Amino acid sequence: MTTTCCPPVPETVSVEIGGMAIALRTPDPSFHRLIENRYEGFVRASSKSYLEFEVDLCDLSDSSPDDDLEVKFDAGEWLLKRGDFRARWNPETSRGRIRQSCSPYAIDCVLRIVHTLILARRGGFLVHAASAIRGGKAFLFSGLSGAGKTTISRLAPPDATLLTDEISYVQREGNRYVAYGTPFAGELARVGENQSAPISALFLLEQGLQNRIEPVSTTEAIQRLLRNILFFADDPELVNLVFQAACEFASLVPIHRLVFVPDQRVWEIIG
Amino acid sequence: MMAEKYIARSKAIAARLVGSEMMVMSAVDSTFFTLNEVASAIWQAADGRTPLSEIVAGKVCKQFDVDPEQAQRGADRFVDELSQHGILLVSDQPLTGTDSSLERR
Repeated sequence: MTTTCCPPVPETVSVEIGGMAIALRTPDPSFHRLIENRYEGFVRASSKSYLEFEVDLCDLSDSSPDDDLEVKFDAGEWLLKRGDFRARWNPETSRGRIRQSCSPYAIDCVLRIVHTLILARRGGFLVHAASAIRGGKAFLFSGLSGAGKTTISRLAPPDATLLTDEISYVQREGNRYVAYGTPFAGELARVGENQSAPISALFLLEQGLQNRIEPVSTTEAIQRLLRNILFFADDPELVNLVFQAACEFASLVPIHRLVFVPDQRVWEIIG
Repeated sequence: MMAEKYIARSKAIAARLVGSEMMVMSAVDSTFFTLNEVASAIWQAADGRTPLSEIVAGKVCKQFDVDPEQAQRGADRFVDELSQHGILLVSDQPLTGTDSSLERR
């Protein structure tokens, strides 16, 4: 009797954010489980993918996730590097390879970077902002850590659909901008709903003694927005694309300052 | 006599005219500047070939009705500050091939 030993067959799990599926292929079932748990609601068993990565799981214990992140375009490929991962991706073939430890933080970071690079060429961006849909319209609440993104998300009324409490996905569609849910969670530790809606307004968060909406000048709005947009690549052309995207966004979407007291009444002035 | 200055916009910037103000961001360190109307006029005239004194006389003094000496001092300060961030290139010789291709208006 002959026994044949077969190597494990790589299986694919796709994570779809902003309507864009990224396929991850690995034979390791524990990685599949990790992806399915972390990105619940965003995982597709089989869907046409925009981009496909082979994932090699390995021990990178001598490196730290705190090591400097490097993102550059070289010889036709995007190279992404941090202590806990190395990734390369060829935009022409839409294929790439990730070498990482079996860590949710590594794949999370790779996905965020890849989406920022794709969105930059489409006039969109990822931004530090909570977002929610109410009455068919999306509202973004932008600010860096401590500004109140998680607080405003916790205070959302039952008729609001939370898209994220941390990183909002903004895509340009014709002459409007659309917000998509993301699995990139903040302190709420809860993935957003995988839904989308046209953006009605963006609020720059500021905690204060009373709830009020204040106007901001276009230049201040653009400057504040740019501060909150996620961007990693050391690439002047892409920096310019992101800059122009922020300017375009500010010309089409109302941007206000939202001064708020952390209680539910703040939602009475939104929408 | 002071040496003539020639100024040109760096290629490593992103810029856009918003209303009457020019917004400029360095692609190197993300430093951000909002230029008022006078500074925007100098910025837009920074072609590397026109001497700064000529820009001040021909653009600033004519368009904004300011004293020539005062305008020149202001222009020198503005050019010094932006050149320190690599946003404007300055030389005592005409500069060629440096005009930004990234700028949109």
